[in-house]
Amino acid sequence: MKPQSQPSTPNYKISCRMSQEAAALERLCQVIRIRGFRIATMAVESAGEHLDITLTLEGTRPIAMLQSQLEKLHTVAEVALGQVSGVRVQTA
Amino acid sequence: MNGAQHILDAFHRHNISTVFGYPGGCIMPLYDALVDDVGVEHVLCRHEQACALAADGYARASGKLGVCIATSGPGATNLITGVANAHRDSIPMLVITGQVPSGLIGTDAFQETDVLGMTLGIVKHSYLVDDADSLPAIMEEAMELAQSGRPGPVWIDIPKDLLLADVSDTPFPRSEPREVSSPDLTEALTMLRAARKPILYSGGGISLAHAEDRFRTFAESASLPAVVTLKGIGNPGKHNPYNLGMLGMHGSRAANKAVDECDLLLVIGARLDDRATGKLDGFAPNAKMIHIDADAAEINKLRPTELAIRGDLNGILEALTNALQDKPLDIGDWQKQCRTWYTTGGFHAADNEEPLAPITGPAFVRQLSRIAPDNTVIACDVGQHQMWVAQHYDFDHPRHHLTSGGLGTMGYGLPAAIGAQFADRKSTVINVTGDGSFMMNAQELATIRRYNLPVKLIVMDNQCLGMVRQQQELFYGNRESQINLDDNPDFVAMARAFDIPALHINRTDQIRRGIETILAYNGPMLLHVAISREDNVWPIVKPGASNREMIDETRRTNKKEHVA
Repeated sequence: MKPQSQPSTPNYKISCRMSQEAAALERLCQVIRIRGFRIATMAVESAGEHLDITLTLEGTRPIAMLQSQLEKLHTVAEVALGQVSGVRVQTA
Repeated sequence: MNGAQHILDAFHRHNISTVFGYPGGCIMPLYDALVDDVGVEHVLCRHEQACALAADGYARASGKLGVCIATSGPGATNLITGVANAHRDSIPMLVITGQVPSGLIGTDAFQETDVLGMTLGIVKHSYLVDDADSLPAIMEEAMELAQSGRPGPVWIDIPKDLLLADVSDTPFPRSEPREVSSPDLTEALTMLRAARKPILYSGGGISLAHAEDRFRTFAESASLPAVVTLKGIGNPGKHNPYNLGMLGMHGSRAANKAVDECDLLLVIGARLDDRATGKLDGFAPNAKMIHIDADAAEINKLRPTELAIRGDLNGILEALTNALQDKPLDIGDWQKQCRTWYTTGGFHAADNEEPLAPITGPAFVRQLSRIAPDNTVIACDVGQHQMWVAQHYDFDHPRHHLTSGGLGTMGYGLPAAIGAQFADRKSTVINVTGDGSFMMNAQELATIRRYNLPVKLIVMDNQCLGMVRQQQELFYGNRESQINLDDNPDFVAMARAFDIPALHINRTDQIRRGIETILAYNGPMLLHVAISREDNVWPIVKPGASNREMIDETRRTNKKEHVA
C-alpha cells in the first residue's frame, strides 16, 4: 500500500501487553517496522509474566492495519490505541 | 526420556510419520534417538533448503503438518528460504533446529547463529528453548499453532544440551477444541441477492481450511461465475461451467474482464495479492466486496470491504449453500455474459498440429493435462512454465497444484514433488520445471534415486531465464541482462548420472510419446523438452499496471490494450 503524502506524519500512542519471551521486543519492533511505522518513544515495564509496552509511533499507513498485525502475534495479549499525541488523527 | 526422545514421542502422539532433515553437530542427539525409532521415517535430502521445501510439498499435498529438521548455523540458514516460502503461502510446518549448547550462546561458538532473531519475520511463531522441562509444552503448542487459524511455520530452536537433558514427565497442557461460532450471514445474503453481476473470488485459503468439498458444493449450487488466484486453482473444479480461471497478471482475459465489470466480489480465502489485483485503484472499480477469511489482519488490509466475515470457512460455506438452495440467485444474463467472455477470452491455446514444429509451452501443458491420470499432482517451479501450467492445465482439486505463490521460490518444484510423493507413494507426481529453476535444487535427483521415488521430471528448457527475458523484452526495451543459460549441462546425461533415465524431445509430434513414456515407466524418469527461447506468457499485465491494461500476443508492443 502506498504511503499517503501528508504535510506531517501522523503519530499514535499504542499500548501493548505481551508475554515475556526470548524475543518479545524484537518481535514487536520488527512488525512495527515492516508494516511502515517508526518508533518515536518506547517504554517497557515488566509485570510478572507480562511486558507492558507503551509506544509512540509515526507512520502514514492506517494504524488499524498495524494493530491487527500486532494482535496476530501469538505472545501479544492485548493492543490498545491510546490518545493521539501528535497533530493529526488518522483512522482506518 | 531426554529432550530428543521427547520430540520423537511427540511425533508419534501426533501421527507424524514422515520428516525431512539433514544432520549436523548440534542436532546430533535427535539423530541418535532416531536410530532406535521405527515409527518416524526420516527423509534425508541433500540440502537443508530442500528439506524445508519437501516438508512444504508434503503438507500441501496431504493437508498434514510438514516437518523439517536441521542443525545450527548453516543448517538453519539453509532452511530459511523454504520456511519463508511456507510462511508466505500459509503452509503448516514445524521446523526443528539444533542450537549450540546453552552456555555457548552468545560466544560466537562454532556454527552458532542467532536463528531466533534472523527468522522472526518468516514464522508464525518461534521458540528458543531455555529449559528442558518447557519442551513438552512448547512442542504441543507449536504443533497446534502451525495448523490452527491461518496456518504457518513454527520454528523451535533447541540447544544441544537440552536435547540431551532429562525431560520431566509432567503432564503438559492440552488445548481444548475451540468452539466454532456461526457468523450472521443475513447481510451477505442480502448483498448477494441484490447483486446483478456477482463474482466468486477464491484463493488458497479454501484448502488451508480443508474446505475444498464445501467450496465446490457452494460454487456449483450457487452457479456464481468464479475466478481463482494462483493458489486457488482447482477450487471450483474443472467441470464447473462458470469457472473463468485465474485472474491477474497472467490471468485469463475472461477472468480479468469479469472482475472489472462485476458489481459484487465475494472473496473467500484470498488476500488480494498484487499479482492478482494489479493496480488497486483500477481493480473491480464498480464492485462492493464481501471478504470471508480466517485472518482478521487481511480484512481491509489493501482494500476496504463493505462486509467482512471472519470464521470457519466450512461452516460459512455450508450455511451459504443451504440459504441459496432455497432460492437461487437470479443472474442468468450475467452467467451468459461470463460464458461468452470465457469462450472468447479463456485459455484456449490451439494445439500446434504441424508435427515438425517446435514445441510451445502452452501446447505441451495442454497435452500433459489430457494425458496425465486424474489426481496427478503437479509440482511447479517458478517462471514461464509455472504460468503455462496455471493457465493451461485443468486442475480438479487445489491440492493437485503445488506452486510457490507468495515467495516465488525458484527451486521449489523438485523438493516439493519429493514431499508430495512421500505424502502418497502411489500417486502420480510430476515436477514441471524450467532450466533455471531445475538447477537450483538439482542435487535432489539423488534423493529421488535414494528412495526410488517414481517422480516424473519435465524440464522445459528454453536456455534462458524466460520470465525475466520476457519482461526485459516488453518493459526494458529488449535489453537482455544476465538471462542467458545456453551453457546449461546436458540434462539427459545429468539425470542418467543420477541413475535416472531420461528422454529428449523437441518437436510437436514427439510430445505425446514423450509424456506417455515417462508416465508408463515404473520409476523416476526425466523428460527434457526443448522449447523456443522467444516464447512468452500471454497475456501479461505490466507490474504495477491495472488488470485492464493487458498486453496480448497479437500486439506484442509496449502499447497498452484495453480488454475488449
